[in-house]
Amino acid sequence: MSKEWRLFKNLTRSVSTAEGLAVDDTLPQSVAHHNSPPILHLYTFVPSVNVGKYQDIEAALRIDRCKARGIEYNRRSTGGGTVIMGPEIVALGLGINVDYPGLKKGVGGVFESLSRVLIRALHAVGIEAYFQPKNDLEVNGKKIAGLSAASEADTCLLFHTSLLVDFDIALMTDIMNTPVIKLADKGYNCFSQRMTTVRNELGRNLSVAEMIEAIQTAFESEFAIRFKEDSPDEWEEKTIRRFIEERYTKDEWIFSHRHPRARMGVGQLKTQGGLLEIYLSLSGGSIENVLVTGDFFSTSEDLHKIENALKWTSARKESIEKNIASVWHDEMIYGVDVSTLTDAILLAKQNQVRL
Amino acid sequence: MAEIKGYNMPDELYYHEEHSWARVEGTKVTVGMTDMFQKEAGDIVFVDLPEEEDDVSQGETCGKIQSRKWIGKLVAPVSGEITEINEELEEDTSLINSDPYGEGWILVIEAEDEDDLQSQLGNLIHGDAVPAFVDQEIARTEEERAKAE
Repeated sequence: MSKEWRLFKNLTRSVSTAEGLAVDDTLPQSVAHHNSPPILHLYTFVPSVNVGKYQDIEAALRIDRCKARGIEYNRRSTGGGTVIMGPEIVALGLGINVDYPGLKKGVGGVFESLSRVLIRALHAVGIEAYFQPKNDLEVNGKKIAGLSAASEADTCLLFHTSLLVDFDIALMTDIMNTPVIKLADKGYNCFSQRMTTVRNELGRNLSVAEMIEAIQTAFESEFAIRFKEDSPDEWEEKTIRRFIEERYTKDEWIFSHRHPRARMGVGQLKTQGGLLEIYLSLSGGSIENVLVTGDFFSTSEDLHKIENALKWTSARKESIEKNIASVWHDEMIYGVDVSTLTDAILLAKQNQVRL
Repeated sequence: MAEIKGYNMPDELYYHEEHSWARVEGTKVTVGMTDMFQKEAGDIVFVDLPEEEDDVSQGETCGKIQSRKWIGKLVAPVSGEITEINEELEEDTSLINSDPYGEGWILVIEAEDEDDLQSQLGNLIHGDAVPAFVDQEIARTEEERAKAE
């Protein structure tokens, strides 16, 4: 007989950031301390944006624009960067023990294991996605889902994913404080080349409910389990309320100062291959985000590969060089080599200003 | 410096199974994360540390470490008061990757009592037990990888 996991599925309404995130935080607690099997939470948020646990929210977002548009903002308890959420974006929270059979071990392993489930779900609706190490799912070089995680209670972890069924790029460029926003029309271009959605790939209006169904089925096949549709019990309800009251409605949490310093910089370098224009977001000594643009010849898939190899890595010269070299192939950017691209990125780093 | 299966695991250190290490000098215990941890986690981008003068207990999560989009735990290998924090990490967390047992140290715990500390060290992995610990961690990863493939 297959094992039974619990499923908290909410298709009736989109939830507030406080409610959705508090339920997610309760999942690993319940698995660790309340004798629960793994719990999957599938739901959608009201139009909102959340930042990673150790992100500077005031540097990442234009809070005034969020308020003007009625977009909720909050801070989640898993790692990574800014994530836009809403009724057309599937939110997934999973509480599971890291020692669960079939779950690959270690930081990279867990991400890879869980990305397989989402690849299976996307395949079921007709989209061929693949894992883009370390944390993204892509379709033809464009990001369709982001993964993040936190090791929480005992050996239990919380895993988060957002899967784009539909997406409002104009909203993103308005509320996010990323370097590209400084150049609005270029910003649109950059994002649309680097992101895609389920509806975009399918060319039809697949519903969020159908996507959620596919994810549920993919989990059942991948882990050879079956789900019992359930809702939080009394202990869990109490824990959820505690997280809402003590965390997700508190400015001390949302505007937490426990984060590295956020900086950004732009670098322009004339090369034999054309002008390289680099937009760099730094988080302490690490690269949070980098956009490689300019008037050179390359493909968006190759540029995305380079950018991905640099995300969340050290901004030291030798590290940048090593990470670019790890994905580099001949004429990846025509007329530009690894050391020239590294120089352009270091120029952006040199021009950094505090946000 | 002892190298076991490609990981540096210095002989003189004590290891917690959650991959923190302890260097003991009297009642002063310097703490960091193992080479095996930093290789597995990849670039460390942030360390969320406790305050100096905080009390911690052996096995307690006393900090969080973010690598890419993963937030992992820093587990106190021994009990005591935190007397020092490595402030260099505020600017450059990559020290944990480049020099996990040197410049990448994370904090110092002052144990209250030397006898008590000695008995706590007995709960940690040390000396002849280290190769088996490394083997077990590698096996766990490989076994699950094989199962998943």
